Order: sequence, then C-alpha cells, then structure tokens
Amino acid sequence: MTRVTIPIGPQHPLLKEPLSFMLTAEGERVVDSVLRLGYVHRGIERLAEERSWVQNVHLLERVCGICSHIHTTTYCQGVEALLELEVPPRAQMIRTLMCELERIHSHLLWLGVLAENVGFTTIFMYSWRDREMVLDIMEDLSGGRIAHAVNIIGGVRIDPDAEQLDSIRRGLDKLQQQVDTLLDVVQHERSLRVRTQHVGRTTKELVRRHCVVGPVARAVGIDEDIRRDAPYAAYDRLSFKVITESGGDVWATALVRVRETSESLSLCHQILDQLDPGDVATRAGRRVPAGEVVSRAEAPRGEVIYYIRSAGTDKPARLKIRTPTLPALSLLGEQLRDIKLADVPVVLSGVDLCIACADR
Amino acid sequence: MLSDILYVLIRLLVLPGFTFLLACALLFQWIDRRTIARLQARVGPPWYQPLADLVKLLTKESILPAEADLPICTALPLVSLAAVLTAAVYVPVGGHTTYSFEGDLIVVLFLLSLPALFYFLAGWVSVGVYSVVGGSRSLLQYFSYEVPFLMALSAPAILTGSWSISRIVGQQATATWTVFVQPLGFLLALVGLIGKLKRVPFDIPKAKSEVVGGPLTEFSGRKLALWHLTVDIQTVVGVFLLVNMFLGGSDLGPLSSLPLAGLMDALGFGLKALVMLLTLSVTSVLYARLRIDQLADLGWRVLAPLGMLQLAVTMLIGAV
Repeated sequence: MTRVTIPIGPQHPLLKEPLSFMLTAEGERVVDSVLRLGYVHRGIERLAEERSWVQNVHLLERVCGICSHIHTTTYCQGVEALLELEVPPRAQMIRTLMCELERIHSHLLWLGVLAENVGFTTIFMYSWRDREMVLDIMEDLSGGRIAHAVNIIGGVRIDPDAEQLDSIRRGLDKLQQQVDTLLDVVQHERSLRVRTQHVGRTTKELVRRHCVVGPVARAVGIDEDIRRDAPYAAYDRLSFKVITESGGDVWATALVRVRETSESLSLCHQILDQLDPGDVATRAGRRVPAGEVVSRAEAPRGEVIYYIRSAGTDKPARLKIRTPTLPALSLLGEQLRDIKLADVPVVLSGVDLCIACADR
Repeated sequence: MLSDILYVLIRLLVLPGFTFLLACALLFQWIDRRTIARLQARVGPPWYQPLADLVKLLTKESILPAEADLPICTALPLVSLAAVLTAAVYVPVGGHTTYSFEGDLIVVLFLLSLPALFYFLAGWVSVGVYSVVGGSRSLLQYFSYEVPFLMALSAPAILTGSWSISRIVGQQATATWTVFVQPLGFLLALVGLIGKLKRVPFDIPKAKSEVVGGPLTEFSGRKLALWHLTVDIQTVVGVFLLVNMFLGGSDLGPLSSLPLAGLMDALGFGLKALVMLLTLSVTSVLYARLRIDQLADLGWRVLAPLGMLQLAVTMLIGAV
C-alpha cells in the first residue's frame, strides 16, 4: 500500500494549540509520526531571570491559560520556602480552593475537547456550559476568569466575605448535579464508549518508562497524587480519595478525570466549611536569601515541578519549570503507531496536552 | 401551446420546482440548526442565516490547488445539484405529482445516490491529502448504507406491486401507511438517509478533527456553496421521499375528507416532513461519530441482514 504523509498541525481543527505531527499513513492506518514542538515558546524561563521575584508571579501566571493558578502556587511556595515565610492558614485554604476550582475547570474543558474530537458536539456544549459556572465563581472571587492573579509571595491577594462563600456554595451544588450527569454519560453512552474504549491503551511499564504523571498514570492504576503524597498548601487538613482506574485507555482517563472533578467539588465544600479567619498574607522581603529549592504541586494534568535558585538578589538566578505535558508527548510517540487514523484525535485528547505549558 | 410551455416552466422553476425546493432547503436547514442548537443549550441562528450563508459563500472567491482538475471540480457540484433537483421532480409533494411514470422510484434512488459518487470524485480530483482520505472514506460509507437503504425502499414497492412513487402513495391512502406494515423498513430507510446526508453519527467522510473538511477541504466560494446547497436539497428530497414511501404522503386518514382538501393535503404533508426533519435533528444530537470500520460493521452485519429480512417477509406476504 502506498504511504501518504498526513500533517496534523501546526494549524488543524483537532488542535487547540499549535503543535505539529507528521503522520505516515497506509490508507486509514497510521504507521509512524514525527513530532515538532516549540510553536509557542516564549522564553519564559529566561525572562524570569530578568524580572524581580514579585514581577515573576505575574509572568508565570502566563505560562498556561488553563492551569495558570497552579504555576503561581508552585512558584510562590518555592520562594516562600527560600524566605522561610510562614503563610497564614486562611491564605493556604484560599490557594487550595483556587487550585481545586481550576482542576474542575480544566477537567470539564478536557471532556468538552474529547467530545468534540469524537464528533459528540452535544457533550462538548454541555460540559463547556457547565465550565462557565466555575469560571463565574473564579471571576467572582478574583476578578479574572482565566488569569486570576490570586497568589502573591507570602499569601493571597483576595479575602472572600461570607456572602461570596455562600454564592460559591450554591454554584458548587448546581455544578455537582451537572458533573453527575456528565459522569453518567461517560459511563453509559454507547457511541462515546465504542470510540474511546480500548483506544490509546497504555501500560504501567510504558507510563513509567516515559515518566508520565497525572490522570493518564492514574488511569493505568498508578496510585500517585502529589496532593496526598507530598501535601502542600492546605491539603494535609482535607480528606479526599485519589481516583485510579485500571483500563489505561482513553475511556479510563475520562472516568478518572470526571470522578476527580467530583472529588474536587467535595474538596471545595470542605474548604468553604473549614476556612479559618485571619490574615491572608504576610509581608515578604524584596531580596531572597541565596539557596535553591524544588517546589512540587499537582496540576490538573499531573505533577508540576519548579526548581528555583536564588543568588541572594531581587531576581532568581535560575528558574526551571517541568510540566506534565512533556512526558505525555514522548508517550504519544509510542501511541501514534499502528492505530487507525480516526483514533488519532481520541488518543491525542486522551493525554490532555497543554502545549503552552510544554513550550513555555 | 404557449400556456402549456409556461405551465411546465412554472412547475419546474417555481412550484414545486427549484424556487420551492430552495425555500424548503433553507427553511429545513434553519429548523435543523435551530433545533440542534436548542437541544445543545445554545441559541441557534436567526431565520435568515441559511440564506445569508449561501449568498456570502456565492460571492466569495473560489480557489483550488494548482494541481486540481479545474473543469471537473467546476462540473462536479453543478452535476450533483442537477441530479438532486431532477430527483425532486419525480417526488410527489403534498399530493401533487409533477412527473410520474412506472419505475420513477428507481430513477429517484439513482439520482439521489449520484452526489455520493461525485463527492468521492471531488476529493480525488482536488488532490489535497485530507480530500483523498475523506473521499475514500465516503466511498466506503456509500457501500455501507446504500444497500440497506435500497432494500428498505424496495419493500414498499414490492408490497404495492408498483415502482411508481405516486402509486405507492395512493395505495397507502386506501390501505394503511407503510410504516405500520414495515416499521423495520422505515427505520432502515431512516438510518440509510442519515448515512446519505452524512449526518452525525455517520459524518465520517467530513470528520473535522480527523480529515479537516473531507473531500471538500480544498473547495471554496461558489463551488462550495453549490455543494452545500446540494446537501440541503438532498435533505429535502430525502425527507419528502420517506414521507411518501412510509408515512402515506399527504394522507391524514379520516381528516382527509374535511373541506379545503388541497390545504389539508399541504398541511398533512408539511407536518409529516417536519416530524421527519425533527427526527433527523434529534438523532444527530444523541451520538458520537462512529469510526469507518464500525460503520461498515453496522452496515453489513446488522442493517443489510435486517433489510433482507424485511424484503423476505414482504415477498412471503405478497406470495400468500
């Protein structure tokens, strides 16, 4: 059979962010793929070395449009560790609340993208409609739907009052019903199942070899979650389940993500109930003592690692970001081999790429 | 003599010819888009949107790749549109038949299946990589839905003993609607029609996330407008055909004897067509797109045997 090269990207209806796959196909069967990255590289790590510690919070919020808050959280935690600052419990709680809201928003967005890629427009519309509720809550809290600018070094910028907390509770209750419906659809809708089950299957060995983290790893039964294994912010005071599945296919990752959304909703309720009174920030100095630190956090897509080195000045000497998308891309190289062309969008959706995070 | 020619021209160009079909096509498209939008928690377009889209596309520049075969690419949408418009001439609307002869059902089925072949050709001659993949998919899809569709539509003809659509409609007015006798055949015809119109879950040849625009990826401007119009008119003719073959045409049972028979005929036919259209819209909201191999499986393992079963039962009953 003759081989054709089918370009997926950098501009393609399947992709929401620029990335390029050159697929080699024999008829409907994809035999190989070549990946090209770097279309949204903005040199953020270098830029961070030229800006002050405080300015960097706003710069790093722009690494990613979906998990903007987790990046600032990881960064602030690292800097606070270097400064040996004690962050007030109320600030920790609000940080965690935003993290969980962001996870809900990211997972609902992902479900919509998956649904659209398998041609299920209705679920795409529904999950993105429901995602609006989370965005509204985040806007109500911080003034921003996508870039919230909540974190500052030493705490948070916002201090919600009782009325706001009540309106968040109402929003979350409404959202819970919608998430239950979506879980029901993912579990039982047959045409969605035939398109996602047994597609993009991974194994524990493969996931380990490529260092893949997050929902994709949990979908093959790897029970890992930084929130539980190395608690940061206020997670040590909250109780939640780490969701795992055993299938390893795209359907399993969908189940993991939708169940995690439910879990996040319960976490939000716990936070709202246990929110301590008090300050939301402590003062931080302009200069950070020399030293280095590794800060970790569980982003919606898995573990984010920040390596920060200070030379004792008002700027970081080095800042290295490692996001969960890069290992996922290396896993994709294995997955996009010997599959049907029609499964390519499903497999690509399954790993939930965040190209902006990977390129920085 | 002159009035005869004028009469024929009016029938072909105005009612129930081109103008009527165009109006129906735009109206159907609007109802379809609006229904789907409402079911998906969206607002949907205003009533003039289909017309605006058509006019806009008609005025846009038409660009094709340099390697594409320009004359054939120009001819294909025109011929497809002509095929479905010709098919419409033989399909009775609201009890009125423009032209009819023994065997017009076969002609209509043939003319309705032509656009699928031209669609494949369009992908082939416009040489884009997505076009070629989409084109081969559309051909594979054609073989999956067309056989059950033909079998399902042959059953009412065999039951009536005539291959003329207007006779089959007439027969249903005296006996009962075919859908009550052959519910299975009706379902198969509906599924076949969804495949023919490439609607969800059978929108495989033009799956956006897989092959961008399918065979029409490289088309633009006037040519693309004509392709869209072909599908819209194909929808109208398909719906009308199914209403005639299975839902008794304009027959409203006992209500047909009410005064203003012509008006009642039009009303009955319009209502049934609307129900069919809404069925199509609702179906397309409910499913994810199938993969081409899954469709082939469905076509040959489920639909084709069921079609044969329907035919066998019909023939057995006819023989007894």
